[in-house]
Amino acid sequence: MTNFLNWLETKFMPPLAKLSEQKHLKAIRDGVISTLSLIIIGCFFLVIGNPPIASWAEAIAPYAAQIAIPFRITTGLMSLYAAYGMGYSLSKSYKLDGVTGGVLSLATFLMLTVPVNVDASLPEGEAIGWVLPMGNLGGSGMFSAILAMIFAVEVLRLFKQKNLMIKMPEQVPDSVARSFEALIPGTFVIVFVWIIRILLGFDINQILINIFTPLNNILGNNLIGVLLPVVLITMLWAAGVHGVSVIGSIVRPMWLVMLEANGQAMVSGTPSNELPYIAPEQFYQWLVWIGGSGATLSLCILLLFTKSAYLKQVGRFSIIPSIFNINEPLIFGTPIVMNPILAIPFVVAPSVTTTISYFAVKFGVINGFSVNAPWTLPAPIGAFLSAGNDWKAAALVLINMTIAGLIYYPFVKVYDKKMVEEEHSEMEDKKNMQVDTAAV
Amino acid sequence: MKVIMVCSGGMSSAIVVKAIKAEAAKQDFELDMIAVGSGAVEEELKDGDYKLLLVAPQVKHQFGTFEKYANENDVPIEKVEPMGYTPIGAPKTLELIKKYR
Repeated sequence: MTNFLNWLETKFMPPLAKLSEQKHLKAIRDGVISTLSLIIIGCFFLVIGNPPIASWAEAIAPYAAQIAIPFRITTGLMSLYAAYGMGYSLSKSYKLDGVTGGVLSLATFLMLTVPVNVDASLPEGEAIGWVLPMGNLGGSGMFSAILAMIFAVEVLRLFKQKNLMIKMPEQVPDSVARSFEALIPGTFVIVFVWIIRILLGFDINQILINIFTPLNNILGNNLIGVLLPVVLITMLWAAGVHGVSVIGSIVRPMWLVMLEANGQAMVSGTPSNELPYIAPEQFYQWLVWIGGSGATLSLCILLLFTKSAYLKQVGRFSIIPSIFNINEPLIFGTPIVMNPILAIPFVVAPSVTTTISYFAVKFGVINGFSVNAPWTLPAPIGAFLSAGNDWKAAALVLINMTIAGLIYYPFVKVYDKKMVEEEHSEMEDKKNMQVDTAAV
Repeated sequence: MKVIMVCSGGMSSAIVVKAIKAEAAKQDFELDMIAVGSGAVEEELKDGDYKLLLVAPQVKHQFGTFEKYANENDVPIEKVEPMGYTPIGAPKTLELIKKYR
């Protein structure tokens, strides 16, 4: 086990950690994170629009479309915001102007969407002119947004390196000079995408969706694919590294695509227990990471009843943060990191609860996840909201907590015994020392 | 003394910072300390005259990046050891901070 932990620290962690530090992936992570507050707000309206009580649902049915609008504008357009955020972030990391990079990324992304004129299909006198179809501006456009962002900012960088920019004289204010700086690279980017998308008619968005759909299906709907992030994240944590921040920065775009697909399915009337994807991030957040990565709320409760004075204290100071899913003090305090005894249940317990939860969602016992509730909510509440107001999801949280507790229990017992022995021998040492000094 | 601590989202370090501040108050040590997430640390370092940047153990894989930011602003940088990253470990981490007084 100790060898395994050493292997984690020296071989497994560094390449993954390096990957998460890669400039483009970092830009994707920061850009995507910048949209999360909007997604939470939009999902809030999804909760209102789909109340758990049938009579309420009936009462608000006539307004359902209006209630869903904030959802459509926030979550439904998430790739739009992400395109700007990612472009901003990547430009910043290259020491280019962030706003310029953000705006150019956004425009490049929009260029992939062909505006249509719907006047012909409207009654006379209701002409609204050109509209952008929203379908690909939400989660399903995320990969186009990423591609557009990388292309736009890399061109910007290349042109700046080669000095292909319009330089303004010193007296011109910075903000004006900047907009001129983007003229040549911006023109190149827009014309290039125009040729590809409009003249040649390549639907890049569709091609990317075709490439990524099988991958989404594995990560979202296949037991092995669903388990994979759990194992990777807990193994990283066992080596002392924030697993979600590493794995999440790679997988989160796909998780968001799944969440949005589920949300859209729900708005368009799909039953909540038949949503297209089993495992967007919320699946893990609420059913598996109860108390934080490793399902440590169960561990924390067990620690409260340990004999070791130290472990009991760790349990006490960790219990409140744990309820709100913050568990670093517990992970480093117990410690779980590089601890051959506790690392085993830390990986096994969430893997087991993931499997149980996977089948619970797959067979429609509980609702699928369509709402992004803030991750610091206590798990039963978060699960209830996130699974479209499903009390059965909250019940599953309690069941999973019990199972995780049973898996942790024997290991905690062993570790507690070891700690008590250490504490005793320390006390003995102190006593002996006192006796020694008294004797002198 | 102004100190900044960076973790992943700035949440867990807030808990640790609170404990360290309480410990500092107990020891009558003047300490102005904040916690930030990894996305905010570069900007924050530019603004304040920090005497030390502490890196939480769970983001040690980003140490190289933080070190670059710290060097750009002439701020010394230290890793917090795992057991120091808990409320009980606060006295230990405070000792580390005091070295840079």
